[in-house]
Amino acid sequence: MRFDILPSSTEPIYRQIVEQVRRHVASGRSRPGEELPSVRALAETHAINPMTVSKAYSLLESEGLLQRRRGVGMVVALRGRPMPAAQRLALLEPALVEAARQAGQLGVGDADALHLFEKCLRRQQTTRTRQKLSEEKP
Amino acid sequence: MSASAFAIDASGLCLSYDARRVLDDLSLSVPAGAVVGLVGPNGSGKSTLLRCLLGLSVADSGESHLLGCPSLLLDDPTRERLGYVAQTPDLFEWMEAWEHIETIGRAYANWSPERAARLAVQLGLPLGATAGSLSVGDQQKLAVVLALSHDPDLVLMDEPVASLDPIARRAFMRTLFAYREDGAAPRTVLISSHQLGDLERVVSHVAFMRAGRIQLMDEWDALIEHVRVVAGPPPAGALHVARDGRALVDLRRTPCAVEGSPVGLDELFVLLNT
Repeated sequence: MRFDILPSSTEPIYRQIVEQVRRHVASGRSRPGEELPSVRALAETHAINPMTVSKAYSLLESEGLLQRRRGVGMVVALRGRPMPAAQRLALLEPALVEAARQAGQLGVGDADALHLFEKCLRRQQTTRTRQKLSEEKP
Repeated sequence: MSASAFAIDASGLCLSYDARRVLDDLSLSVPAGAVVGLVGPNGSGKSTLLRCLLGLSVADSGESHLLGCPSLLLDDPTRERLGYVAQTPDLFEWMEAWEHIETIGRAYANWSPERAARLAVQLGLPLGATAGSLSVGDQQKLAVVLALSHDPDLVLMDEPVASLDPIARRAFMRTLFAYREDGAAPRTVLISSHQLGDLERVVSHVAFMRAGRIQLMDEWDALIEHVRVVAGPPPAGALHVARDGRALVDLRRTPCAVEGSPVGLDELFVLLNT
């Protein structure tokens, strides 16, 4: 599982980890049984505090999305199944509501806002393809 | 740990140089295992505070304890558990980096040459050079290795990364958590720095210092989640009102009808000090 950590974001780092795991599982990109990076490894990679990672993992464990497995560490729990499209859309909605609010404040027209969102989607697609290719390389 | 659950516990510290008040009735309690960023403008008293906590400067009044031991009477078992990086490291110009590490390290029972070597490699410190020939950045790396090689439980650091490039600063932040003995409790760290972007990665708490006092201290996650900046007439009970009229409110204390925006460490620092 790959994480994007933005330390200067106004979303706390532990919350960034929690939300990314939720989205990975909801999308089906991470399946039940998949191992998560160890607390130490994830903290080292991003030069962040291991306690922040522990906090995120513990929250996800208490929600039942992750499971602690002896000798392996954290894995995606059995109930961590992909969500139906409608529920995934519901998860996306708050971010779009916020974007719509800001578009209004900035006086950006609907057509321009939609066009920009399409552009962002395409950019995301390119990034994902590139990541996939670099992961498949031996 | 002894009676107190606080690794650092100071109350009522006052210190004046000539007529200038450097510490003004300062109190600070740091829970064991916390990584605290001590931030504040130049001259706000951060270095003096660190020196007082370590017993290197003597406060006019007030008291402080490190790991339960009075700052002015630190005994050997407590010293063994402490690490300190001074703003300007005390080094012998003619002595090689590794000689420093061995000579100073041997004074500690828990010192390990392996740990010292791994820290040095991780930070990219040239071990064979004399301290006098090291760049300021490399001298800071040496000071960090000296402070961490005996696996201390409590570390106080005064601007340890001011002269390091971003890659070395990342490496530095990893060393704060690395090479602890198995099963050791998390290390407590108090670190003063102006590199706020770095602090955001590692701190559990932030203590804002201004004019010799702790102006605000809390868990960083809690501050991001609950502190908002609002424009317009400052609401009653605001944490602080900046000169430009913007106010900081803590939603836990002042449930606020006005919609505010969340605020990062950089912005919070600026608002609190104007």
